[in-house]
Amino acid sequence: MPKRYNWQLDREMEYTYDGAPPKRQVAYIFDTNKCIACQTCTVACKTCWTSGKGQEHIFWNNVETKPYGGYPVGWDKNLLEKTQPAKWDGQKLTSLTIFETDGPNKQPVGYRPKPEDYASPNLGEDEVAGMAELGQHFDGTHPMWMFYLARICNHCDHPACVAACPRKAIYKREEDGIVLVDQERCRGYQECVEACPYKKVFYNVINRASEKCIGCYPRVEQGDVALCVESCIGKIRMHGFLTTDGPPREDNPLDYIVKIRKLALPFYAQHGTGPNVYYIPPLHVPNGFLEQMFGPNVEAAKELYRQLAYDKRLLGALLLFGASSRIITRFEVQGEEAVGWDVDDAEVARVPFTEPVYHRPHYDQKHAVYRHNTA
Amino acid sequence: MGDTQSHHSDPAASKPGAAGFSRRQFLYQLAASGMSFSMLGSFAAGATGHLQPVRVGSPFGQYPNRGWEKVYRDLYHSDSTFTFLCAPNDTHNCLLRAHVKNGVVTRIAPSMAYHKATDLEGNRASQRWDPRCCQKGLALVRRFYGDRRIKRPMVRRGFKQWIDDGMPRDSHTGEVDREKYLQRGKDEWVAVSWDEAFAFSAKALSNIAETYSGEQGQAKLAAQGYDELMVDATKGAGTQVLKFRGGMPALGATRIMAHYRTTNCLALLDSKLRGVGPDEALGARHWDSYTWHTDLPPGHPMVTGQQTVEFDLCNVEHANVIFVWGMNWTTTKMPESHWLTEARMKGAKIVIIACEYSATMNKADDALIVRPGTTPALALGMAQVIINEKLYDEKYVKSHTDLPLLVRMDTSRMLRASEVFADYRQAELTNNLTLLSEGESGPNVLQQPGPVVSSAKRAEWGDHVMWDAQANKPVAVNRDQVSGKFAALGFDPLLDGQVTVTLADGSAVQCRTVFHANRELIDASYSPKQVEKITWAPADAIRRLARLTAANPEKTLFALGMGPNQFFNSDQKDRAVFLVAALTRNVGYLGGNVGSYAGNYRTAFFSGMPQYTSEDPFDVETDPNKAVRTRTCYRAESAHFFNAGDRILRMGKHSLTGKTHLPTPTKSIMISNSNSLIGNAKGHYDNVVNSYPRVEFIGVSDWWWTASCEYADVVYPVDSWAEFKYPDLTISVTNPFLYVFPATPLPRIHDTRSDIEVMAGVCGALAKLTGDTRFNDMWKFVKEGQARPYLQRILDASNATRGYRLEDLEARAAEGAPAILQTRTYPKWGGYEQAHEDKPWYTKTGRLEFYREEQEFLDSGENMVLHREPIDSTFYEPNVIVAAAHPLLRPKRPEDYGVPSAQIDADTRQARHVIRTVEELLATSHPLKKDGYNLIFHTPKYRHGAHTTPVDLDIIAVWFGPFGDMHRRDKRTPFVSEMYVDIHPLDARDLGVHDGDYVYIDADPKDRPFKGWQDKPEWYKVARLLARARYYPGTPRGVTRMWHNAYASTWGSVHGSQTDPTGLAKNPATHYQAMFRTGSQQSCTRAWLKPTWLTDTLTVKGIYGQKITQGFVADAHCANGAPREAIVKITRAEAGGLNGEGLWWPAEQGMRPTYETDAMKKYFAGGFVG
Repeated sequence: MPKRYNWQLDREMEYTYDGAPPKRQVAYIFDTNKCIACQTCTVACKTCWTSGKGQEHIFWNNVETKPYGGYPVGWDKNLLEKTQPAKWDGQKLTSLTIFETDGPNKQPVGYRPKPEDYASPNLGEDEVAGMAELGQHFDGTHPMWMFYLARICNHCDHPACVAACPRKAIYKREEDGIVLVDQERCRGYQECVEACPYKKVFYNVINRASEKCIGCYPRVEQGDVALCVESCIGKIRMHGFLTTDGPPREDNPLDYIVKIRKLALPFYAQHGTGPNVYYIPPLHVPNGFLEQMFGPNVEAAKELYRQLAYDKRLLGALLLFGASSRIITRFEVQGEEAVGWDVDDAEVARVPFTEPVYHRPHYDQKHAVYRHNTA
Repeated sequence: MGDTQSHHSDPAASKPGAAGFSRRQFLYQLAASGMSFSMLGSFAAGATGHLQPVRVGSPFGQYPNRGWEKVYRDLYHSDSTFTFLCAPNDTHNCLLRAHVKNGVVTRIAPSMAYHKATDLEGNRASQRWDPRCCQKGLALVRRFYGDRRIKRPMVRRGFKQWIDDGMPRDSHTGEVDREKYLQRGKDEWVAVSWDEAFAFSAKALSNIAETYSGEQGQAKLAAQGYDELMVDATKGAGTQVLKFRGGMPALGATRIMAHYRTTNCLALLDSKLRGVGPDEALGARHWDSYTWHTDLPPGHPMVTGQQTVEFDLCNVEHANVIFVWGMNWTTTKMPESHWLTEARMKGAKIVIIACEYSATMNKADDALIVRPGTTPALALGMAQVIINEKLYDEKYVKSHTDLPLLVRMDTSRMLRASEVFADYRQAELTNNLTLLSEGESGPNVLQQPGPVVSSAKRAEWGDHVMWDAQANKPVAVNRDQVSGKFAALGFDPLLDGQVTVTLADGSAVQCRTVFHANRELIDASYSPKQVEKITWAPADAIRRLARLTAANPEKTLFALGMGPNQFFNSDQKDRAVFLVAALTRNVGYLGGNVGSYAGNYRTAFFSGMPQYTSEDPFDVETDPNKAVRTRTCYRAESAHFFNAGDRILRMGKHSLTGKTHLPTPTKSIMISNSNSLIGNAKGHYDNVVNSYPRVEFIGVSDWWWTASCEYADVVYPVDSWAEFKYPDLTISVTNPFLYVFPATPLPRIHDTRSDIEVMAGVCGALAKLTGDTRFNDMWKFVKEGQARPYLQRILDASNATRGYRLEDLEARAAEGAPAILQTRTYPKWGGYEQAHEDKPWYTKTGRLEFYREEQEFLDSGENMVLHREPIDSTFYEPNVIVAAAHPLLRPKRPEDYGVPSAQIDADTRQARHVIRTVEELLATSHPLKKDGYNLIFHTPKYRHGAHTTPVDLDIIAVWFGPFGDMHRRDKRTPFVSEMYVDIHPLDARDLGVHDGDYVYIDADPKDRPFKGWQDKPEWYKVARLLARARYYPGTPRGVTRMWHNAYASTWGSVHGSQTDPTGLAKNPATHYQAMFRTGSQQSCTRAWLKPTWLTDTLTVKGIYGQKITQGFVADAHCANGAPREAIVKITRAEAGGLNGEGLWWPAEQGMRPTYETDAMKKYFAGGFVG
């Protein structure tokens, strides 16, 4: 099997195919500290892409409550039970990925959910690990906890679905790294469903084909963010591209937040797929659970987040989340504003660190009327 | 692996292959099954596309078959777009962009144009406001086209029969034969034309008004058993028994307010029936809105003299500390949530107080879980610490509050300067007050610089007295002398003390400062240790939060939610929180203020609304460019009285309902946009079984068949927001914008009309019936297809909107942008003038008031700020005053009303003033506890519904909790999801209830689910609450929770679930879809009436404009309910496993709380890391 370098694991890794990285890699940052589990992303996705028959239970985008929630039920715990415990030596993964566990030329380790596992997509909503007690008072890390995890396809660097497909009907687009299941060629073997560690490929019993999040490529091709990103009222999401043809750029918000500042972390990186949705970990959750999910840099990321008020450039990048429907490829902090430009270098976002306050006179001469706040 | 050849050598012929039938057969089947064109398109592309096998190299290189990608580009494509406003009474008001393909709205997106909002001066909002939408708004595509759209006017068969039979009545009582004509809920429906619907409505209204007009009419009402005070309140006008309600009228300045305009113009009917002139003619009555929803924080007017103080939620970024107090912000204020999380990013501390680990609590820097309904005590505990540790801002307290004023210990009243100083002449007030002499109407609202009050009322208020500590003498203080104007006086009043004051008549009277009176009560009753016993909050936490607040003057925001607001002690929570805020200089500042967040009520921003609702029906202005003459012929009352069985509050034989609050009997109800009034009302089933049979006509306007429609007589199908043909206006309490509902290009999907056309149509039929053409003149513009003249009149006449042209606002809205309201500031916040401009509050003293001297407050023992136990949601003796003895605490005892103190049933509790110390309270118990009622049951609002909108869409419902299943594997499930009760796992285990089991939930059997259920087993079967139990570890033991936002079981839905082989709880006749098998969360709630909310004496500003009045003001001082209160008994009904066998499957698999497998436990602990 070819070897590919996986930067998230700081080592080379066996993978089914070789191949150059895409010209740029579509990527997302999700700030779990801002997610409110409103499912607006879910419905934005659902109503555009998966309203057909056979898709009733399919949600390319979902938000689940950790730790009790999971769609399909128990997806991450189930895989963790089949793989080696992740071992990190500093930034380097020393345990085996899903591509390596069973040895060379084997399918990635995975499992195929049962049909009923896709029922109850919001099982565990808001439920906390631990039990609330009368009169509890706490700060910092919460004694009982839960947090919301918004999930889409990770458009991985080394996708397990691609590796598993016996028909090569899944491919990674060279121009943006979006991973697609070719709906013409797919024969519905569901090897991808079994292999994807995130269970983000779905089987459609009417089409008899597998399908998944398409990264909203008809929008990305126009320079627009995905529908789940545009509609995110928690403003938890940033959608853009990681630089693949050189070192990370300070003025690329994705590069800056993910690779330079390491505030947003890859998600179950130990499985080896090189996922491209990066999460800012929740401040209030114990590190043990978070390191299992987001790797060894959780505490450092949390500390960065706690100090945001004193970290203007990083804060400015985060305030650009949700500001525009356009993909921001370059940003700057100018005075008390963060500014973003799109791929055509047009200014598409200019957000103040603090919303301005305007005062009006008591009597408006022009319109001959008293104005009041206490109405 | 990686071979290019599949098992199928000819993919074109064999796809999808495995089942062995051909592509053609497959496509045929897809078409036959009604699959969407878009997906069909993907196969069509395949069929006509690459028929040759494709050879793929590396999936990372150039993929050879990219042509198929067109499928999703086509699916994404829209032919056109338009904007509409989504405003389901959630306070956000989102301008959304509808994408249209082949004439059908296929998806919805945020407008992303809020940053284009400007004000008249050109100030602009930023991109931090975008996007604005939520899952419910985006899901509306399925509601515009859903099967519960009302497609044509519908009339209940029995009602039609009654009209056809000539509207017969009992000759003595005037009653309508219930058996024959009033089988609401069970009856069949008849489709009728719009003209017939209007004619039936007009006949019913006219007949009812005629029947109950005059002395004969009043005699009939008396014969039907209505309270004599209610019968008197009609004044013999039959129109007064007709009730109207537009659901949260702020949400439709002309469309929903059309109901109010109608109430006024029904004076024409009274004029004809009783032969009276315009001066005597009475219109109909309209019900309250904000207070009906129990959204008013009733203590705000008690402290500030006006409806509510609040601030735009974006202001949190100016605070250091944000208290999120009984408010599930992230689930009910979704588009404003980022302001909270971004404030936190920027360093603010978020303190969350709730009675559970709430959804919002995962954003907390500091969190506190308290006993439900006890936060008045929590705030008092904080006040005790602030006072005790002398952390308060003395200068602010002396100049902004009534705390330094003197109270007489003998009469319990505030001491007046006229009592102290011989020949005292009241000061001439000049600080932002307009005084009116008798008969003077004063400036119109546009020219009111500030509060307006009659000279007589001002004289009654008097001037007050402080004690000069240095000179050791009393000093008169008047209303002008507040804030900086007080400081300028240069004297230092006694704050904490008692003095003997020699009165002008030479007598001496003991007095205390308000501060001393409250401080002594608080000190003796609410020390942190005592408050810990009441609230469960640790004493140290109380101290810490108190110190944190005091350390952040002008930088602590209190955002209070609906949680504590829906308890019977709601006003005490307001008064106590204001006390904490006032002590620490946190009222009226951008970063330091108190806000209440329940409901969207600020019709006050449309202060020129009377131009529409109160146009003189006897002198209609038909020139669209002219302002109207107003004449207020309607009366308002609170719907809570109807909800309470169409009764007023009495204790023994004494009426405790203020004269200004008295309702009339309810014989007709017309509502729009308001499922809360019937279908999701507290005590819903008591109303259905016991109250509606006394109502002779119910007309409901809606665009979705709700539970309210299930019990109506006439249902008027109206346009959805996407089909508006008439533009409209609205505002918000939580953001600074002025919104237009745009008229849209989407053709009407069904035979619907606008809400405003419905009212115009009903009035048109009345014109025909009575021959009075003024009924038509009132709606002249509507008949011409226009609402714009009415809207422009409102804009021109309102302080916050004058200067805007409707056409401009419509043009912006079409682009997805609102405008900015012209209040004093952007963003807006209440108390601005008082905090920054030395202006008095709307109270008698001009200060924030923490002492209430009015008789109703003295009688209730609520003259000072204190805590009462919840009236039902407590483990202890309900509604007792929890306080140590205090010389100013002298409420009327039950015996004073002729009621024994031992009588403690729910009705009596409402005015039962019994005092217990904290220690005594803990030794008591709720009277039903001995019968197994020991779980507090509260019913908050939640993220998957804005009230009930649009919880019954599959793609929303399936997310509504853990019981979603699109395929409904368990046939008991009423829908693709169902409602559940959250219960602590250990409480459930004690009851023998497993996770996912069905349980019965019963509240006080004396009145719930309805009075007399023992004799009506068929209705009891519909009304008794049956729901799933969810093991929920986030609520403490003893506390259970069920969301408010679900469609209730109706007679028809229960019938449907029992007759449909799939078990779907859907009314086969109406398509109404319930989310319960039987009952609803409202099976356990009821109406409650509180004496201090029904006073004739409280000073309070009216809604429109600046005029200060006294007693009843709809939505500002009136009955307000307590819909979150219930204590229940839970019993296991059925096993949760598939079709009633065994455990519910996620529990069986060890995925659930207390059922966890070892692997699950390891996963929680992060054990899968080596």
